[in-house]
Amino acid sequence: MNLWRLEWLRLVRTKRWLALLGVYVFFGLVGPLSARYLGEIVERFGGGVEVVFPPAVPADGMAQFVSNASQLGLLVAVTVAAGSLAFDAKPEMGVFLRTRVDRVGDILLPRLTVSFLAVGAAFVLGALGAWYETAVLIGGLPVGGTFAGIGYGLLYLSFVVALVAAAASRADNVLGAVLITVVVLLAMPMIGIVGSIGRWLPAHLVGALSGIPAGERIGEYVPAAGVTVVAVGLCLWLAVRWSEAREL
Amino acid sequence: MIVSTRGLRKEYGSTVALRDVDLRVPVGSVYGLVGPNGAGKTTLLGILAGLRSATAGTIEINADRTRVAVLPDTPQFEPWLTGREVVDLARTLADPTIAESRVDEVLEQAGLADACRRTVAGYSRGMLQRLGVASTVVGDPVLLMLDEPSSALDPAGRREVLDLVARLRGEATVIFSSHILGDVQEVCDSVGILREGELLFQGRISDLLVGSAVPDYRLRLRPPIDAAISALGAAGWVRSVEPLSAEELRVSVDSVANAEKYLAGVLAATGVPIVSFGPAAATLEQVFLELTS
Repeated sequence: MNLWRLEWLRLVRTKRWLALLGVYVFFGLVGPLSARYLGEIVERFGGGVEVVFPPAVPADGMAQFVSNASQLGLLVAVTVAAGSLAFDAKPEMGVFLRTRVDRVGDILLPRLTVSFLAVGAAFVLGALGAWYETAVLIGGLPVGGTFAGIGYGLLYLSFVVALVAAAASRADNVLGAVLITVVVLLAMPMIGIVGSIGRWLPAHLVGALSGIPAGERIGEYVPAAGVTVVAVGLCLWLAVRWSEAREL
Repeated sequence: MIVSTRGLRKEYGSTVALRDVDLRVPVGSVYGLVGPNGAGKTTLLGILAGLRSATAGTIEINADRTRVAVLPDTPQFEPWLTGREVVDLARTLADPTIAESRVDEVLEQAGLADACRRTVAGYSRGMLQRLGVASTVVGDPVLLMLDEPSSALDPAGRREVLDLVARLRGEATVIFSSHILGDVQEVCDSVGILREGELLFQGRISDLLVGSAVPDYRLRLRPPIDAAISALGAAGWVRSVEPLSAEELRVSVDSVANAEKYLAGVLAATGVPIVSFGPAAATLEQVFLELTS
């Protein structure tokens, strides 16, 4: 047993992998379906009102997935990551680990890595599911652009996990870490409204998976990607620094 | 000394938790850190364990960091791990080269061999405490810090933990914090008494009991004992004579030496038949109350 296996067991035995995979794959399959049959769905439940939608295009399938995955999916991802990264939430457990390692980074590294891999894998599987179903129901998506969108999405998720780590090193419990992270993530799109700041913020990457297949240039997201890489580094540095400074 | 501090001070805002503590823990001792709640025991152990930082002062620990183990007062573990996995994780973190068979060995010593394949979620408080001790000793530490390891347990659980601690004597140095003085007197050979962050006394328990308590003798005589009371009351080296019953007396003397020299002679001269007599042993509790009141 080591700290890496501990994180793997946390994922498996607490069924967190199921929550992650369930939410992303579900939206991956439901997103394109709702995009394809939106007209029929509204007509069926619209009380006789006829609503005319333009014919669905392949990018709509991915847009539906991104819309759902960036809300409920992200909340599940943040909660799962916080459950792992808030290792001082129960001080007695924190004492067990902290008094047995040379550096706090030894505790953080497996938790960060496994959390990111789990969240990332769920997101990729969800995206692949959405891609497949979009191709079947609506039409094919550009391969290069879709992969680029998935890559940008993964970069954004790495920022989210790093942000959770920084939040967890300040919060007293898992809920606190979740709340801090959610507030920061919600604040970003609001800040993005001001001028052209939005295209520089990590939150801009969320739209890459639907935007690039819809015709946007891959380069459109490079500024946000650059800022995200720096933000990931900053969050990790803060997480280590704050965790080391914490007294139990 | 395996642990020594000089002028150790800890402040939380305007509250002083430790006041210039000079701790000296001899190698191989079982050192009891006693004091009322809020005396600073947990803070002191936390600083020694590296879990808190001192406001001022120096700490010297003459042991490899990987051979120092800490047990909090109410140990908790991931509830979805089995007891064996917890101890095995502790082994790997302490020293991965330690044989895995050591895990089973310490689980057996802790009385958890039968329960070790069950998840920790189903463990009682006493079992968690014993699991904590097993996780602590699996790395063969040279220095153990146990924070109130028996305070939250029922009598049977307390007995098991005290026996585990007693078994560590000679294998490692143990710092054992507690406010249960009977436990400290039973398993510790050295003691440090803390009150409001101040170290009032530290040294061997035997020195503390002899040095601090007023020497008392307890006499059991065949009634009537009035002659004995009068004769002892008139002796210059006797401070007080207190009848405890029709046949028992407590005699406070100015020194053990005088009592050993004259007590038997004075009693013999009265002609009162003697059933038994001997020094009344002071308890750590009496001395503690003397020091802290």
